[in-house]
Amino acid sequence: MDSPHSFEDGLTALLPRLRRFAHALSRNAADADDLTQATVERALRSRGQWEPGTRLDSWLYRIMRNIWIDTVRSRGRKEDLHAPVEEAERIGEDPRRAIEASIDLRTAMNAMQQLPDEQREIVALILIEGLGYRECSEILGLPLGTVSSRLVRGRNALLKMIGE
Amino acid sequence: MVNDETFFAWLDDELDAAEAARVAAEVAADPRLAAIAGEHRAMQDRLKGGFDTLLDEPVPTTLVAAIRSPRPAEIIDFAEARGRRAPRRWSFVAQLGSIAATLVIGVLVGTGLPRPQSGSPVEVRGGKLYASASLGRALETQLASAPEANVRIGLTFRDHAGSICRSFTGIASSGLACRADGRWQLRGLLATPQGQATDYRMASSVDPALAALIDSTMAGEPFDARQEHSAREGNWK
Repeated sequence: MDSPHSFEDGLTALLPRLRRFAHALSRNAADADDLTQATVERALRSRGQWEPGTRLDSWLYRIMRNIWIDTVRSRGRKEDLHAPVEEAERIGEDPRRAIEASIDLRTAMNAMQQLPDEQREIVALILIEGLGYRECSEILGLPLGTVSSRLVRGRNALLKMIGE
Repeated sequence: MVNDETFFAWLDDELDAAEAARVAAEVAADPRLAAIAGEHRAMQDRLKGGFDTLLDEPVPTTLVAAIRSPRPAEIIDFAEARGRRAPRRWSFVAQLGSIAATLVIGVLVGTGLPRPQSGSPVEVRGGKLYASASLGRALETQLASAPEANVRIGLTFRDHAGSICRSFTGIASSGLACRADGRWQLRGLLATPQGQATDYRMASSVDPALAALIDSTMAGEPFDARQEHSAREGNWK
């Protein structure tokens, strides 16, 4: 694998994966784009805090996850009444309807929507982003055992929703 | 019988060689376990396949542009605001009039202002508006290069009287505060337009009314990171 020539090159190369993680966390295309934008901006402002030689992707995933948590918290305080909009949108939609060899993004996001937050972020990092348990536990600041038990619960729930 | 955590760790290739071989043997000998492994692999493929469609999409140009732009967005916005300086007085007033949803609170606030609620970024003392404890702390300690969850510091500079001023953006409001007698006096406070009140949208661009206020307040150039840092060391004097 080529090592990126600069911080900017590395960040640019990781944009597609950052967008994927943003969609998995937020389950909403508009939120995902805003979240990716905010992550890029914070990464650029905080670039001095990234240690060259360490994984840039893990550092960016951590920034994105922290921004998302802050967002959810501030919405929880201020935007309680807005939450049911998305909720209403998916009522009556059974993700199991689309049981095929492949599923589309919307179905995948709907399935993620059903998971508790603490399982969703782990599923996103390990099953979708392909990170190892250890990287995941470092990004989230959780013990390995917690990561692995939440992952078991998350993937069992997903199997019921989008399994064969 | 292998437990769930170990079984899935094997599926995810997380076990050391010896343990992986032990689980593999157990799965090979148990058709039920082998079927579960197959189901979970297929489920992961489907889930990941759904999200992987994003990898084939072109990345929004705004993201690439943000990375390629030479300076932080706020500075650029500010420079643009300065570039439009000629009709400044007129346009500032026009902008204020046109931003119906924006609340601007001036320096001298009458006694009619409601008492601040807890969590308010401001408090009134002697008829003047000051930063509350939490906003004051952010203005006191934060650097523009190290934004925190609730308040982001924008520009730091001196006004025409030589006081240090700092622009800030919070979850629901943005504004400008200047140092006066060891406190942060508000020169302006603007409500964040509705729909932009989530903190991750904080000030990728500055409200034009705030940019204009900064423009008319600032003497000289904004501080760079080093000047900002030493101003903090010098207690903003």
